[in-house]
Amino acid sequence: MFKSKFRKSIAVSTIATALLLAACGDDESAGKKEVSAENGKPVKITFWDENAGPQRTPIWEELISQFEEENPMIDVEYVGLPKDSAKSKMDAAIAADDTPDLASVQTSWLPEFSIREALLPLDDYFADSELNGLINEGALNFNKDIVADKKLYGIPYTQNLDILWIRKDWFEEKGVKIPETWDEFYAAAEAMTDKANNRYGYTIRGGAGGSFQLQRMMYAYNGFEDYLTEDGKATINDQKNVEFIEKYLSLYEDYTPKSDITNGYKEMIAGFDTGVVAMVQHNIGSFGEHKEALEESQFQAIPLPKSENGNYVAEGGNTIGISIFKGTDNPDEAWKFAEFLNSAASQSFWNEQVGQIPTNSDVLKEDWIQNSPHIQTAFEVYDDPNTVLYKPPFYLPEYRSILDGTVDSGIQSVMSGKASAQEFLDEWAGAMEAAQAKYSEHFGK
Amino acid sequence: MFSKNKKIDKLLTLYVPLGMLLSFTLFPLYWTINTAFKPEGDIMNRPLEYAPLNPTVENFVMAWNNVGFATFMKNSLIVGVSTVIVVLICSTLSGYALARYQFKGKRAFMLMLLCTQFIPRSMMIIPLFIIFKNLGLISSPLALIITYTAIEIPFTTILMSGFIANVPKELEEAAMIDGCTKLQSIRHVVFPLLLPGIVATGVFTFIYTWNEFLIALMLTNRQDRFTLPVGLSTMMGEFNVNYGALAAGSVIALIPAVILFAYAQKHLVNGMGGAVKG
Repeated sequence: MFKSKFRKSIAVSTIATALLLAACGDDESAGKKEVSAENGKPVKITFWDENAGPQRTPIWEELISQFEEENPMIDVEYVGLPKDSAKSKMDAAIAADDTPDLASVQTSWLPEFSIREALLPLDDYFADSELNGLINEGALNFNKDIVADKKLYGIPYTQNLDILWIRKDWFEEKGVKIPETWDEFYAAAEAMTDKANNRYGYTIRGGAGGSFQLQRMMYAYNGFEDYLTEDGKATINDQKNVEFIEKYLSLYEDYTPKSDITNGYKEMIAGFDTGVVAMVQHNIGSFGEHKEALEESQFQAIPLPKSENGNYVAEGGNTIGISIFKGTDNPDEAWKFAEFLNSAASQSFWNEQVGQIPTNSDVLKEDWIQNSPHIQTAFEVYDDPNTVLYKPPFYLPEYRSILDGTVDSGIQSVMSGKASAQEFLDEWAGAMEAAQAKYSEHFGK
Repeated sequence: MFSKNKKIDKLLTLYVPLGMLLSFTLFPLYWTINTAFKPEGDIMNRPLEYAPLNPTVENFVMAWNNVGFATFMKNSLIVGVSTVIVVLICSTLSGYALARYQFKGKRAFMLMLLCTQFIPRSMMIIPLFIIFKNLGLISSPLALIITYTAIEIPFTTILMSGFIANVPKELEEAAMIDGCTKLQSIRHVVFPLLLPGIVATGVFTFIYTWNEFLIALMLTNRQDRFTLPVGLSTMMGEFNVNYGALAAGSVIALIPAVILFAYAQKHLVNGMGGAVKG
């Protein structure tokens, strides 16, 4: 009696579990059948967004529904990836050969993905497309330049630019000139500091991600176009940079909050948005956050000061593009969607919502651009024929880890007085040169 | 005099440290709940608001409806509950074998179980991805259930064998003398005594599956199959963190775990005690 009851209960729970598991497994194929059940078989393509979030996901979903309306035979599936894990997710997908059809891909990932032969060259598609001639030439050429085989692997749909956000109202109040040169920048940092009222002229990102900002400031100052020269030497420990680092990081504590040494992105922006610092260096992408905290009349974007040569220098590759993966079964449909996302209407919609710069020249005449001073500021820099885009070696597998590991902590060492500017830059340059030598040896470059 | 001293002693050695520990533990929770009830504009306000001045539930509504928490929660529940069931069945049986029988290679087997715990999870991602891709299980909850079960079984087996070893063998023998079979004696004698251990193991497994992020993200390629931790992480964009919805989502994600703990608390303390004694 007992025995049979016990057996029964084991049998029942086993069957229940099996059913549950089977139910979980079956769903997907059921979904697929539904799609292909219609006459004419709609094609399903998958799109991965590398920076999903409450702000961007709805924008993509809106664009996808517009596209599906125009193209009833193509079904787009959106997958939003959290920004911090998107790269590793794509890495795993490439390794396992299970990539999506297309994705939003950061320009700095292109060299690595193309070496791994994960992406489809888009040169032919682009040449025949109506987009030809409309997308920012500089950004396209940059994308081709940084990959080993000089092919086009990503069509940039948005670009960003590092600038200085300043508290316009404070500058007016104190009658301080808005900085255009480096001397004026240092003078403003000093003049805007009022420690008694807990106000500082500037804020340095000493914590995570500080390397990127420091690098962009440094090249804006030195005016170099090369990061690594032809013979594999880094321009990082040039005397001009030593001079820059000494002066720039000496702002710490005198004209910046003491907590800057551990500042990450959020702390740095919070300092500006809560009325503690007068100037912060970031990119135009943080406009939305400033707008939430401050009145639009209180802040303004200005370009990084010009280099000694009198021109703007910005980091190249500050774009995000649409790439199609080689593994796709439907390259034509994927291209159609990529083309749609780069059309003037889509780019305008996306960039207006996010607050970044479109790359499609047809968008430039639109009202929202004319009425966005921060976008205008970015244009001023990108449209200036003298502007130089320097090329960081994105293709080096160690590039990112050197910045995150060696440089981030190096900045802290200089700020805390444990290392000199020269020692710090020598270490940074040495690491990049070693990585370049390894790369050249491997690829016989 | 003596009693006064005793009181002060107790205050200094018990209540003060406990109070400090408690506030240290509870502050993040309090701040999350506080943020969840604030409207978006008030979250970054200075001076800080220690209680929401304009309390609102809009963050919860947004997290549940717009961000898709209802779906994420359902997925997490399917994965969590299924994993717990499979893990409990397997680990109770294997734990029994380890606790009650002497067999060749038992020590080596135990050692092997322990060794599986030393492998970093991130190293398994690509092999797992390839295996499940070939099985056609990418984005299926089954992939997560199988992986989590495989990860959890070694540890829970060891845990269960500890609990089972604590149940006196004589009780089983007495039941068998009275006419029970082996299975009946397990079912009617060992099982009820083991309940605290089973609850502890179940809760432990559930919490792991509930919080696991990396594998869930890597093995899922469809938005509507994401589990809660993956869904929560997409609330943090590069320049835009929706703190309100993120906090509300975290509170929602906490609820099942809190209910589970509240229910299982008594068993859990008993269970852990048993395991330690073993």
